[in-house]
Amino acid sequence: MEVLGVWIASLLTLAIYSFLYKDNPFYKVAEHIFVGISAGYWAVILWFDFAWPNLFEPLIVKGNMVYLIPIIIGLLMFAPFIPKLSWLVRIPLTFTMGISMALFITQIIQGDILPQLQATFLPLAGIHPFKVFSNLLIIAGVVFTLIYFYFSKEHKGTLGFAAKVGIWFMMVSFGASFGYTVMARISLLIGRVYFLLHNWLGII
Amino acid sequence: MGQVNNILARLSALDRRIIFLLVAVAVIVPLLIPIGLPVDITKPVKNIYDKVESLPEGSVVVVSIDYDPGSEAELYPATEAFLEHCFRKNLRIFMLALWPAGTPLGNMALENIGAHYNKKYGVDYINVGYKPGGPVMLLSLGKNVGDMVKTDYAGVPIDSLPLGKEVKSARDMALVMSLSAGDPGVLHWIIYFHARFGIPVCAATTAIMAPQQYPYLASGQLVGLMGGLKGAAEYETLVKRRGRALAGMDSQSIVHALLVLFIILGNVILVYQRSKR
Repeated sequence: MEVLGVWIASLLTLAIYSFLYKDNPFYKVAEHIFVGISAGYWAVILWFDFAWPNLFEPLIVKGNMVYLIPIIIGLLMFAPFIPKLSWLVRIPLTFTMGISMALFITQIIQGDILPQLQATFLPLAGIHPFKVFSNLLIIAGVVFTLIYFYFSKEHKGTLGFAAKVGIWFMMVSFGASFGYTVMARISLLIGRVYFLLHNWLGII
Repeated sequence: MGQVNNILARLSALDRRIIFLLVAVAVIVPLLIPIGLPVDITKPVKNIYDKVESLPEGSVVVVSIDYDPGSEAELYPATEAFLEHCFRKNLRIFMLALWPAGTPLGNMALENIGAHYNKKYGVDYINVGYKPGGPVMLLSLGKNVGDMVKTDYAGVPIDSLPLGKEVKSARDMALVMSLSAGDPGVLHWIIYFHARFGIPVCAATTAIMAPQQYPYLASGQLVGLMGGLKGAAEYETLVKRRGRALAGMDSQSIVHALLVLFIILGNVILVYQRSKR
């Protein structure tokens, strides 16, 4: 069974890569199989991992009627399909927004914004000169990039110069991201080729 | 000069399939004939290794499989290398997944590495499977594991497993390792779990995600980071394991060199074409 799985995976891999030469029926078949299986897989996941254990099992098996409330609120999401009742969609939307804001705002301030802000308060004396330079670079990067996103005054003169420096900092960051993206794509290719040579052909 | 012009004109009209072919050759040949190019160890990866080394025997490490088969090539080698280090140090693994398809991948790694070190399911490691809910789930998990985890991935009641009985809240966890390919993933662990419960978090991410994690490394919210296949190869070097990441490093380096060459060549051709206008 495992051998069959390896063969199917290998042939589908080759079918997908055949698109690099030109579009062809093998690629189309592989593409449609992928879309179909993904849809089926997600339907099963949504039922067995989301809906059944978190909603229907407590309601049906354990008889906990409180779970009728989320079902009713959830069904109100479909209210726009009935024009007369479409206003009812506000109930689930406000409920979701209220919960999300209460949860996320406090935690993002505590867990993201404040620690990141704190991390820019860096020492500039009593440490190795290279560390001073690194810390200055971080501070300058934060300040100049923020200046670029200050739009209440025209970017001219000193402000314009600072904004341009901000662009340079961002360009370096985009370059690093692009480099990592290339690395990621090549890693995926290596993974597939390794699978073909090791698991399928057994030559490495 | 005329000959150079001729070559540049031909290169500018090069069929892109030849580039694909060259990349394929640059990947396949080093896999068949390894060169063994050196792999330097970077500080973010060494930090993870040192953190694991510093944990006392029997500590519980949470391993979160936050990826699916689409990122398997980059993150599965990191999963195996990290588990190997943990099992070698006699640490216990509490595995879960924030991505639905992460559970079988995590299981595969636990079974492969666990069998090698004679580790017993339920005692040395457990897999509680996919846990939906993102931030809400993580906040509840840290307060009381029992609220979020009733059974393991196979439906076995968590209380019937010795390790399941022991892990009651974040206080029983020594370290979190998030193997992350996106959202939900490492950011959730940092913002919702580390910030609230103070448990150190380290991560292995896809290379695309790695640059976004550096501010968290600098702020100390992230103990260490393995970025992409290169990060996994560094960890394999540290734990002295000849795995898939190290096997792929020769190809990775050669393809990078080839791409740098293409970029230089492309720019030379562009400058040449502009000068001709």
